Formats: sequence, structure tokens, C-alpha cells
Amino acid sequence: MTAPLLEATGLGKSYGTLVALKPSDLRLNRGEVRALIGSNGAGKSTLIKCLTGAVTPSGGSVLLEGKPLPLGQPGAIIRSGVSCIYQHSNLAPMMSVMDNISMGRQPTRFGFVDRKTQRTQVQDLLARYGIDLDPDALVGTLPTVKQKEVEIAKALAQDAKVLLMDEPTGWLAVSDVRRLHETVRLLAAKGVGIIYISHMLDEIFAVCDSLTILRDGEVVTERAVDRISRTEVVAAMVGERLARESLAAADSGRKATGSGEVRLSVRGLGRRGVFRDISFDLHAGEILCITGLIGSKRTEMIHALFGSAPHDAGEVLLNGKRLVPRSPAWGMANGIGLVPEDRQHEGLMLGMPIRDNLVMTTLRRFHRFGVLRPRGIDRSVSSLIAALNVQPPRPAQLVGRLSGGNQQKVLIGKWLARDPSVLILDEPTVGVDVGAKAEIYALLRAARDRGMAVLVVSSDLEEVTTLADRIGVMNRGRLLSLRPAAGITRPELVAEIGADA
Amino acid sequence: MPSLSSRLTLPVFFLAVLAIFCLIAPNFASAGNFENLMAGYAFIGILAIGQSFPILLRGIDLSVGAILALVGMCIFDLSLMFGVPGWAILPLALLVGTLAGVVNGLMVTVLRLSPFIATLASLAAYRGLVYAISGRQLVPELSTKPITDRWITGFETYFDLTRVLGLKGVVKLPWVPLSFLILLGTLLVFHVLLAHTRFGRDLYAIGGNPEAARLAGIKVGRLTVAAYAISGLCAAIAAILLVARLTTSTEGLGEGIELTAIAAAVIGGFSLTGGTGRLLGSVIGTFLLGIVLIGLTQMGISPFVQQILTGLILLVAVGNDRLQTLRADRQRARALGEVPA
Ligand SMILES: Nc1ncnc2c1ncn2[C@@H]1O[C@H](COP(=O)(O)OP(=O)(O)OP(=O)(O)O)[C@@H](O)[C@H]1O
Ligand SMILES: [Mg+2]
Repeated sequence: MTAPLLEATGLGKSYGTLVALKPSDLRLNRGEVRALIGSNGAGKSTLIKCLTGAVTPSGGSVLLEGKPLPLGQPGAIIRSGVSCIYQHSNLAPMMSVMDNISMGRQPTRFGFVDRKTQRTQVQDLLARYGIDLDPDALVGTLPTVKQKEVEIAKALAQDAKVLLMDEPTGWLAVSDVRRLHETVRLLAAKGVGIIYISHMLDEIFAVCDSLTILRDGEVVTERAVDRISRTEVVAAMVGERLARESLAAADSGRKATGSGEVRLSVRGLGRRGVFRDISFDLHAGEILCITGLIGSKRTEMIHALFGSAPHDAGEVLLNGKRLVPRSPAWGMANGIGLVPEDRQHEGLMLGMPIRDNLVMTTLRRFHRFGVLRPRGIDRSVSSLIAALNVQPPRPAQLVGRLSGGNQQKVLIGKWLARDPSVLILDEPTVGVDVGAKAEIYALLRAARDRGMAVLVVSSDLEEVTTLADRIGVMNRGRLLSLRPAAGITRPELVAEIGADA
Repeated sequence: MPSLSSRLTLPVFFLAVLAIFCLIAPNFASAGNFENLMAGYAFIGILAIGQSFPILLRGIDLSVGAILALVGMCIFDLSLMFGVPGWAILPLALLVGTLAGVVNGLMVTVLRLSPFIATLASLAAYRGLVYAISGRQLVPELSTKPITDRWITGFETYFDLTRVLGLKGVVKLPWVPLSFLILLGTLLVFHVLLAHTRFGRDLYAIGGNPEAARLAGIKVGRLTVAAYAISGLCAAIAAILLVARLTTSTEGLGEGIELTAIAAAVIGGFSLTGGTGRLLGSVIGTFLLGIVLIGLTQMGISPFVQQILTGLILLVAVGNDRLQTLRADRQRARALGEVPA
């Protein structure tokens, strides 16, 4: 066997007393696509960040083509041929696409940046990988999906020997995922070694050669992809018991139209040029999932319901009473909760502890004569953390330091804590592992059984078919269909979503 | 790159205000008045250029007024107390200002203090130092003696533009102070540095997203120190021009001037959230504040009202900044879907 392209030995990382990654070994050959999987908080991103220099490992060493990698020095590591698509956005929003792609590496002539060469380089790159981006657009003006493409282009621009991808497909549409996978295979064929993190087992089995499973900061399994089954993977990730439960959770009873009581009624809702003629009833005690392609204006529509975006036609009735949604405060006062799509920007205060994030929406409950009662807060926070199974279960932990999936649990918990009568969630499980997904589904089902009306926007068809009592499909700003979920198969949904209106 | 129309907003606004004052303020459109404007605001323009660098990096430099005084007092001492020749004083003055800036930068990077706190502390410390080394206190009889060294007072020179252009007898153009030319030179150098070198692009990257910049291999710490050093250097240049103009220095020199410099940079388009702005904007911002103040004075409006108006200009500028952001958001909405253009 030839020497591996990348070889990490005893690589570990602790944050204070918390061991995020126990000393682990990892090998990657030329042309190999290795999946790195594990639950939220298993240490996948930490391992990746040790390899890019984003964090300095507490111990261990890494050889790239037999030469030691200068750990903890992002610049030197990039130059030696390791590039990365990080899980969380790493762009400068006020700079152009072009400057972001060649950030820190603009070509120069006589000490001055050579704009012309830079432009041709970027254009070549975009053309080579079939990425459709305007080099001069300001990154901050692009939608989330396009920004992800900028990150992908930025990583590809470095002609790396090793490419690390930390959940690159979150928020990408199915067709974009397919294109990304073609790129991955193309690069692998050229001899690039790739590490690919994803929670979507479909993707893993579609594009990877081998996989490494992390659990609680430890490598538990290493195998070629064709020598392991899905159930084995899930069992290795979360343990036998949870794996069985998550399978069982997939088939729990459905209750189309819930208790039959109409909670929220939407009549002809529209916003010029964005969406129009949206009408549906949301019942107490049901989960209604709305799916569709990215860009089908589902997000815009639910924000209009919540009052955080305008609408200019139609009306909304809550419990039969006509309402004019006009601000989030209004939405909250009327018992509507909205879990936004982009947790990093819209949902959480990353620099604050779990505790403060969880009670943010419910603070007024803990007032007595205008003064906060810390004891009441602590009790409520502990029970929420237990219910959500947030890891690590420490109220004082800063949310920005939680793994992606645990951040998502905090975000959802924050809204569940209010016990709204209508809860709207936008892509609630992007970046969430199988185990946590099952937990989140269970939370939502429990809320439904208590009589909450739940509206979920999701592009993940597996999620839609598992969770929904009724399914609605949106396409280009219109609600195409709305029917009970029982009996709808995934192929049917795929056909409908892609249909031209 | 911001769109052309958003880049033109400020110059157009500036010219409009200028035109209004020329029309309504008595004596405003005179050659002598423009000489005053150029000479009186050149050094503030240089301070605003320097200030733009920390602001670009999401920071701020509150200590520029104190650095200005510190450098001014060094010049005073060296020239009058120690009789050092002017040609030797100038590089020393620039060095002192730059070092003061480096200390600010180190406090921000090494000690990880927030720029506001760090430079608030150094503002007090540098100002205290000025009193401690003040030649006026140490040798009281010097306090009435002017600086006469030609190397320094030479900066207070005016060029007759009318004669240079051979327009004598045709029009009477204002005489151009050397300090204004130095402002233009400083602007040119730092503009090229910021807009056309890797150093400059890296600064924008750090201001836009420090973590992304670090992960792209940019030496964030070093460049941050450099940004504060540039701010200090500009304060030193400003000090030389101001001392040349006054032929002396005082302990209170440049007190509060940092706010004008910050306002000018913000009006000029350097958002306090970092990552954007162009130096020409900061200079235009300076002179916008200048013409408003001088114009209002000539119209006999009370200084208190002037301050209120300065505040209003700042609000308009920041409001315009918000407007641009909103426009960008709408552009984004358009990209997301087919919002009618
Ligand atoms: N800066 C930090 N300070 C303290 N703890 C941290 C920090 N960054 C990560 N951790 C902890 O390290 C553990 C591993 O996190 P990591 O981000 O590697 O998980 P992950 O496997 O990528 O999960 P996910 O699938 O949710 O992205 C988590 O428990 C997390 O809370
Ligand atoms: Mg992660």
C-alpha cells in the first residue's frame, strides 16, 4: 500500500474541561472521498478545523504527503494544499464575489493587485465548475444558496490536494447537490483527497468511497461504504436503542386536519411579484408541511404570516378573528411562533449562553414587580435543556460554541417554551443528525398532540413524508396542492414539486 | 464595489451644499474664504483619512486628538527647548505619532481590548503625557516664544494659483495652501494603498469578516496594528501642519477633534460595522462639515445651532448608509425571486 495523502495521528482537541475530540487517527488516500459522520457534537467540525488550522489541536500531528502540516496556521496550511468549505458562512458580505473567492490570494503585479488577472482566474473557475455567479455582485446581496456556492468556489479556487467539506449541501437544492457531487467525483478522479461531512445518508452512499464514524469525539467505525448498511451506520452513530426509536418514530400515527378546529385560516394571501393567492386552513393538532423547490417563496410566505414581512393582498384569520400581521411582536402577542431558517443570523444570539437564548421569548413570565426572578428562569431552563437533550447540558455554555445541531435544538426550544398556539418552522432540521431529528420530530408531535397547530416548511422530502399530517406543495409563489400525507409517496412528491405551474 | 450611483451620492450632495452656501451666505464665494477653508480643514482631512483605517476594521481611534497634541508638544520641545533643527524634528515627529498608533494596535490585538476602550484609555494617557512633557510648564518663559524654524513654519506656505495658471487679470483664484497639497498627496498615497494593493484588500476582508480573513491566511493581528499605526502617522502629519500654522503648540491642542474626524469618515462612507468605505469620501466628508460650519458662521448663526446642524448632517449620512443597505436587501429579494424591478 502506498503512503496516504493525509495522515493524522492522535489528533485531539479539548476546550477547557470539555473534550471535543479525543486523540484520533485518520487516513486519506489520493482520489478517495471519505465521509465523516456522527451525531451533532460528535466532533466532526472540530476534526476538520484542526486540519485547516482554524483551531490549534491540543495534541497530535498531521502528515501531508509525508511532510508535517504546520498545525494552527491557516495561511501556511492553505498554501500547502488543504482547503475547506466550512459549515458556517465564512464570507465578507460587503465584498464582491470575486474578492471573496480570492480572499488573501489576489494576484499582484509590481505590488499592486492585478484586477484583470484576478477576474479571468475567477471567471475560468466558475466556468470550469459550471457555477453561475456574477463576479461583481456583493456577497451580502446574494441569497443564502448562492452564498454557499461562493464558498464552494472559494475552496475550489485553491487547487487543493485535500478538500474538506463540512455539510456543504445544507440549503442546496436537489439539482445543485447533484452538480456538487459531480464536481466531487471529478476532483477525486484527478487525485484530490476529499473529506465529506453530511447528515444525509443518501448523499454519503451516493458519493463517498469510505466512511469514518465519530461518536462522542472518538472514531468508532472505519469502513468502505459498500461494506456497511444504513442501519449499521445509524446504530454506530447513535447507539442501537436510539436507532430503533428513530426508525419507530418514522411511522407514528398521522392526524390529517388534527382536531378539526381551524386555528389559522389564510385567504388569498399575496405579495406583488413574490407569492399570490395562498389559501389554506391550519388546524389545531396537526402538522402541515409545505415543500417545494428552493426559491418557491415558502419562506417569504410564512414571514408574511408572522408579521416579519409585508403582504399586500388577502387576509389571515386566527381562531376566526381577522388579523393584520404587521410585526414579529404582533405575531408573538397573538400566539404565533416562528423558527427562522438561518439560525446563525436570524435565530440565535451566538455570543450569549444557552440560558439567555432559551428564555429570550418568555422573559415576561419570570417577572415579579418588574424584576426578573433568576430561580424561576433556572428551573425552566434546566427542564427545557433536558427535554431537548442539548449537549452539553450546561445553561452557561455559549450558544456559538455548540455544535450546529445543538444550536438548532436551542432555537426550536426557545419557541416551544412559549407554547404558542401556532408554531411555524422553516427548515427545522438542516444540519441536524438522525438522532436529534427523531428527537425534534418527537417534540413537534408532542406539541401537536397538546393541540398546537404546526406549520413546517421543508425541502427535505424524507422529513416531509415522515412528519407531515398534510402536505402542501409550493411552486413559484403559488400553492399547487394540499392533501393528507397518508399515502403520498416520495416519487409522487418529486414529480409534483418539479412541475411547471 | 458599490454601484456608481451610490458612489456619486456624496460628491453630488457636497456640490449642492457648496452651491447653496455660495448663493445665500455673504462673502462665502470669495477667494479668501476658500483659502481659509482649505488651510483650516486640510489637517482634519488628514486625520479623517487616518481614522478611516481603524473604522474599516470595525474599530475606532479616539486618541487621534491626543496623539496630535503629543506630537505637537514634541515638536515644541525639540525646537524651542533643545534647539533641534527642523529637518531632524520632522521624521521624529512622524515616528512618535506612528509609535503611539502602534501601541493602540497592540492593545487591541495582543491585549484584546475593544478598540473603544483601548483608545479611550490611550486618549487619557497621551493627553496626560502631553502635560508631563510640556515645555510651556517646564520652562515658562518659552510659552510666548514662537517656533521660527523654517523647516517647520515652511509648511504654512501658499501658492498663487492664478499666477501659476497664467490667469492673472482674468479671474482671482484662491491661493492654495501647501497643507492642502499635502492632504491631496496623503489621500493619493493611502488611496492607492487601500484600493490597489493586497494590503488594502486584506484590510477590507478583515473588516468584512475577521474570522474568514484569518482562515484565508491573512495576518489579521499584524494588519490591525498597521491600521492603528497609519492612524497615528496621519495624526502626526496633521500635528506638523497645525503647529506650522500656529507657530506654537499647546497642551489642549486638538481636543475633541477625534469626533470631527470620526464624523467625517462616517459621512464619507466608512460604516462603523466595518468593511466598506473609500478614502476620498472621508476627505469630502471633512470639507462638507467645513463648508457648513464656515458658511453658517458667515450667516451669523450661533455656534450651538451649528453643532446641531453638524449632528443632522451625520444623521443624514448614516441614514443614507441605511438606505443603501435597504436597497441592497431589495436587490437580494429580486435575486431570490422575480420582484418586479
Ligand atoms: N469554541 C468552542 N468552545 C467550547 N466548546 C466547543 C467549541 N467549539 C465546539 N465545541 C464543542 O465541541 C463539541 C464538538 O463540536 P463539533 O462542532 O465538532 O460537532 P459536529 O460533529 O461538527 O456537530 P454538528 O453535526 O452539529 O455540526 C461540541 O460539544 C461543542 O459544543
Ligand atoms: Mg459541525
